[in-house]
Amino acid sequence: MKILRTAQEGLSSLAANPLRTFLMMAGTVVGIAALTVIMAIGKGTESQVMRRVENFGPRAMMLVAGGGRTIGPPDSTVTTLTLDDVRAIREEVPGLEIVTPQAWLSGAGLRYEAQQIKATLWGIEPEWHEAWNWHTADGDGISHEDVATMARVCVIGSSVKRDLFGGADPIGQTLYVNKVAVQVQGVLERRGVMGASGGDFDNRILVPITTAMRRVMNVDHIGGVRIITSDADRMPEQAEQITQLMRARHRITPPVEDDFRINSPLAIAEVVRGTSGTLTMLLAALAGLSLLVGGVVLMNIQLISVAERTAEIGLRRAVGATRNDIFTQFLTESLSVTLLGMILGSALGSGISVAIRQLTSMPIVISWEPLALSLGFALLIGTFFGVQPARRAARLHPVAALR
Amino acid sequence: MIELEGIEKTYTQGEVVTRVLQDISFAIQPGQYVAIMGASGTGKSTLMNILGCLDKPTAGHYRLEGTDVVDLDDEGLSHVRNQKIGFVFQQFHLLQRTTALKNALLPLIYADHYPEEAEELAEQALGMVGLSDRIDYRPNQLSGGQQQRVAIARALINNPAILLADEPTGNLDSRSGVEVMAIFQRLHREGRTIITVTHDRQIAEHAQRVIVLADGQIAEDQTIDRPRDAEAELVALVPNEENNG
Repeated sequence: MKILRTAQEGLSSLAANPLRTFLMMAGTVVGIAALTVIMAIGKGTESQVMRRVENFGPRAMMLVAGGGRTIGPPDSTVTTLTLDDVRAIREEVPGLEIVTPQAWLSGAGLRYEAQQIKATLWGIEPEWHEAWNWHTADGDGISHEDVATMARVCVIGSSVKRDLFGGADPIGQTLYVNKVAVQVQGVLERRGVMGASGGDFDNRILVPITTAMRRVMNVDHIGGVRIITSDADRMPEQAEQITQLMRARHRITPPVEDDFRINSPLAIAEVVRGTSGTLTMLLAALAGLSLLVGGVVLMNIQLISVAERTAEIGLRRAVGATRNDIFTQFLTESLSVTLLGMILGSALGSGISVAIRQLTSMPIVISWEPLALSLGFALLIGTFFGVQPARRAARLHPVAALR
Repeated sequence: MIELEGIEKTYTQGEVVTRVLQDISFAIQPGQYVAIMGASGTGKSTLMNILGCLDKPTAGHYRLEGTDVVDLDDEGLSHVRNQKIGFVFQQFHLLQRTTALKNALLPLIYADHYPEEAEELAEQALGMVGLSDRIDYRPNQLSGGQQQRVAIARALINNPAILLADEPTGNLDSRSGVEVMAIFQRLHREGRTIITVTHDRQIAEHAQRVIVLADGQIAEDQTIDRPRDAEAELVALVPNEENNG
């Protein structure tokens, strides 16, 4: 194939001029490397978002006491969220499958015989198990009767079991939560360490919400409400209804700040994406600039090269190269340079991504998609910036070129 | 086989029309060795470009092996150059950083059918000009005379109808120049058609026929009864230490 032979001439020319080839390639290498890193971070972030949303529950919302922050534990100084609010939501907001209150106390003191540890205390209703899809591995969960009778019972997480009871069976044993005696009636499934904070989800103790509020914490407000909607599509609308309801009940009119907030998968995704957003923007700017500048440099070097190699072009025309042959040769040079630059850039970018993963906690996922995108960019730049010099080379008149 | 009829070439620059060639007509038979002579500015380079199908005349006809090349487009002319014409230039025009072998086979790259034995053909061509032991050398490792011989090998590789040389000895010392002439005379004896364009009477007189141009017209068309014999001249020259010229 003649086209392959003329393309081969372009490749030979690149190989014969390594410095020129390197200069033509540099911008593409940097640009593609940055692009690869962006994609690795982006993909890593998205997979973390997916994990967090999955974790949170795709149909779940949390109404949390205290405004301001988007995620994190509730503000325990805010006392305005009550069980009456929960009742109001159940009655007035349609389309909700579960609305279950929960009270929080972090760092509650737990004691069993001589063992003492700190864990998070959760006051819950039976629906909590369903709402968090978190059931007991052994024994029973919290029941309606437990809530109604303010029963002195508890369900413990696997870490509490390990730290307080060692290898022994905790079911039926009595432990003390802030000096209140409760009997262990169940052990939760193990969840492990999760989230950006790396908190131990299994270091917790569940008691009936009434027991928590009256016997342990002695409060009449709650920390939050776990809400599961029956239709994820209606979530924004329902969140708005709940917001209006709470504002009305708490007598809040903007611009007064809300004393509650509603977390949803959307809000969580926003937070996770936000952390890598700035870096991604910077890298995107770098990638775009490098590719653009690299392309312009490539075009300039090629134009100079065409001027320098006028005699060569004239000779090739004299021995029978057509305009198309010359065009093919010079376009091959540009395209090969960007393709090689893309390969080197992808390797460099992957290397940097791996290094970032080793050195920081940033989520990084290396995949094949950046390769496809980079290939597209390389072809685009090679063509866009290579056509003009190639056309100029092809248009040279042989007589003028040989002079 | 080569027939020029009423060839005319004018350049127009704004209002000014320059007539470079007018009413050039002649024929060259196969196997002839012809020199086209003239001082600079007489239009011999323009004529050489037309003969080499690098440029088209403004008027007239140029039939090469039966084809009127005046009718061809750029691609057609490229094809004719590739198939029928072998060029030798004053400045050699070899690709730098490229071996003698690759330089010699360059025309085959642009042929419709790339012969499988291209490299063997290039070796043979280099053998014909006495460079069998230099096939892997690059131009910067070769003397001027050797470079011009690589160029001759390149011109021969496609077995052209015409070998067209433009001041082939212009950049060479006298000994290398005579060596190139000797090669041309040998190729002529082997039946090649050769056209040399030169301003140098001595070089021209190695040919059988000299066409002299003056003011863009044919001033003289003479037959040389006894052309100079390059082989004999070589013997007469003081022998160079091994032929590195």
